[in-house]
Amino acid sequence: MEFLTDNIYYIGAFGLIFIGLFIILVKHNLIKVIIGLGILDTGINLFLIAIGYINNGTAPIFSKPGLEAGNMVDPVPQALVLTSIVIGVAILALALSLAIRLYKHYGSLDLRKIKEQRW
Amino acid sequence: MVNPILLIIVPLAFAFALPIVGLISKKIIKYIPVLVFLFNLIISLLLIPKVLDQTIIVKIGGFQPPFGINLFVGPVGILFSTLIALAGLLVSVYALSYIKEGPQEKYHILYLLLLTGATGVVLTGDIFNLFVFFEILCISSYALVAYFGNKAGIESSIKYLIQGSVGSSLLLLGIGLLYGQLGTLNMADIANQIHSISSPSIFVPMIFIITGLGIEAAIFPLNAWLPDAHSSAPSSISAILSGIAIEVGLYAVIRVIFTIFNASSFLMFFVFLGVLTLLIGEMSAFSQKNIKRMLAYSSIGQIGLIMFAVSLNTQLGVSAGLFQMISHTLGKGLLFLSVGFLIYKTGSMEISSFEGIGKKMPFTSLLFTIGAFSIVGLPPFAGFASKFMIIRAALSTGQLLFTILVGVILLGTVIEGAYFFKVIQSIYFKGNTDIIKSDEAPLIALIPMFIFALLIIFIGVYPDFLAKILNSAASEFINRIDYIRSVLG
Amino acid sequence: MKKIISLILLFIICLGIIFCLQKIPFGAAKTKVGNYYIDNGREETGAANIVTSVVLNYRGFDTLGEVTILFLAAMGLGTVLATLQKKDKRQIEQASLILKTGCRFLFPLILLFGAYIFFHGHLTPGGGFQGGAIIASAFLLVYLGCRGRKINETGSKLTESIGGLVFLIMGLIGLTLGGHYFLSNFIPKGEINTLFSAGIIPIIYIAIGLKVGSELTGIIDNLMEKS
Repeated sequence: MEFLTDNIYYIGAFGLIFIGLFIILVKHNLIKVIIGLGILDTGINLFLIAIGYINNGTAPIFSKPGLEAGNMVDPVPQALVLTSIVIGVAILALALSLAIRLYKHYGSLDLRKIKEQRW
Repeated sequence: MVNPILLIIVPLAFAFALPIVGLISKKIIKYIPVLVFLFNLIISLLLIPKVLDQTIIVKIGGFQPPFGINLFVGPVGILFSTLIALAGLLVSVYALSYIKEGPQEKYHILYLLLLTGATGVVLTGDIFNLFVFFEILCISSYALVAYFGNKAGIESSIKYLIQGSVGSSLLLLGIGLLYGQLGTLNMADIANQIHSISSPSIFVPMIFIITGLGIEAAIFPLNAWLPDAHSSAPSSISAILSGIAIEVGLYAVIRVIFTIFNASSFLMFFVFLGVLTLLIGEMSAFSQKNIKRMLAYSSIGQIGLIMFAVSLNTQLGVSAGLFQMISHTLGKGLLFLSVGFLIYKTGSMEISSFEGIGKKMPFTSLLFTIGAFSIVGLPPFAGFASKFMIIRAALSTGQLLFTILVGVILLGTVIEGAYFFKVIQSIYFKGNTDIIKSDEAPLIALIPMFIFALLIIFIGVYPDFLAKILNSAASEFINRIDYIRSVLG
Repeated sequence: MKKIISLILLFIICLGIIFCLQKIPFGAAKTKVGNYYIDNGREETGAANIVTSVVLNYRGFDTLGEVTILFLAAMGLGTVLATLQKKDKRQIEQASLILKTGCRFLFPLILLFGAYIFFHGHLTPGGGFQGGAIIASAFLLVYLGCRGRKINETGSKLTESIGGLVFLIMGLIGLTLGGHYFLSNFIPKGEINTLFSAGIIPIIYIAIGLKVGSELTGIIDNLMEKS
């Protein structure tokens, strides 16, 4: 039980990654697959932030003059996640515009019907 | 001495400035990529002698690595960036007359950014920076595949996007796991702390990173997106995707395996994977009726061949693999560019519609033939020199297994020759023989194709021209201790 | 069938990750690089917010790549939706009076809040990207509430390009003056915890904030017009 509460962030991040990958592999509605991409991105960002946590640490901002550098969390994963969130937004924007175009061509968003390119 | 960071910054600055230029005058937009890549090519050629002397480390922001990002400009980096600048220049000259419809300003911006991303991947020395530039490369190729907006293009683009995004998420997961254990993101620093891949906590991130990069590098079984994407893109973009994008992806895989992880025991698996990729690519190409799909499957086969050559893990093997990369870029680029105008004039991508076109478009068909001969590996073209070097490297290891695999490679070459000869026979020897008026491709599109063909013939006749830089590049991959020492001191 | 294969694949991936996580206990001690940034961040860069100094100074090249990716997304979206016909003029129902007045009242306040966040990026949590997203949400509110108003497309394109070019030019000036490194901090750092401190960081964040705001607004404009 203590194992669960200690590592709750890791378990939550995994759960999201697992759900996201499952949606992408299994579902056949295009909008659901795009939502799955978004969930996968969120899961990975949560995982990266969870790696950087130090026990009893605070945000790495020296807002008051007397703040100690002793217990601050790692700033590097936060910078990585900033970049990764922006990349996720860019991919979602492009995917949604392609979905709009695809609907105009085929009239349906079912990935099983969009298979004109074959061997 | 010129700072190598200009190789990345100048295309980026012009890509940001192009919308402003577009507001002033719409006519000069298509000439800007030509100027930018001419500048890049001159700078790369000027830097080659200095880099062969001693690798240049560019510290960004003035901070010592591993506390800041650094660029590592070694023989491999400068070789690839010269290749990227050369291909970018020639294809942008071709695009002056090929791209006539659609949102042209956005085409040129995306084109500049694709090649900026590729140059960034080969020059960087930090693994998260590699991820960012890799994403720039991938996202611009997703958008460019969908440039024409027809049914095939949009479908291929969405499938490419979904597979590519899953790949880059896996790559980020691997980077995160590595950072959590080792605490640093600099390639040389990670390489310093990894001594073997036997522990599972180092092996698993390596598998994630290689899978993530392998989707872009078109390693079997991750290359399901490639035939659709390369055949639905505009032909100038297919040339860049087949010639540069998948090779840069393969460069990233090689960099991760050799320099960062030192995974020599993993290379045996890679040898088999390479030969399997080669066989599947060539056999699938044999049964195609659409010319661009055939060329796309042929690219898969060539990537398998390069993987095989590099996994031999000897100086001669790695230089042979790099030589094959150069001859593949030149040959496949020439093929896609010539096919572009063949398709434009006949209006269809089926091989059966090319019958007899050898008389209507003599120059274009001749250039197509030169490209085909180079890819198959006939003398005196570049493809022969590189394939010969690969076979020589495989035989000189002396192991029986490699000799058997050389036999398999020769079988693949025979299949390659078969399907290319089918197309050439259809172009020249079939069809009615009345003389129709010649309807050749415009001169400005023929010039880059001629230059490609000249380079293929020149490198095929004098392969020693590249020997020095290929040897230094191979030794950069194999001696990782020198890499670590030049960055960290 | 597909479900079972994917479940097995995911199970293998999870096992792999769990093996690795044994070595990364939750809340463990600091890493070498993180330590260095927290200890020396204040003197070397002059910013009170260490995450900002990591994003813009130590790893500024990644931020340049990120800005490029957002630019790329806007361009890619424009390319894909370019040849689509504009949607036919349906009868758009006018929003109610309360909604219209409320949107017009809130618009400048949200813009002010977004600008506050990217001006103070080096002192408080926040920065260019966050501020830019808030500015774009202000424009989205106007699109949804007061229907029929459009942004000035030329102005938005100009802001985008100029924002990106300012970032690059600051980096190139660092290449020529200063310490001869790209993106070096060549403006005097000032006193910590005041608004005019930390060298080039506030200038770059203002450029990024305006750029991201106009870019996301352009994306919203494209999607609303063309679909």
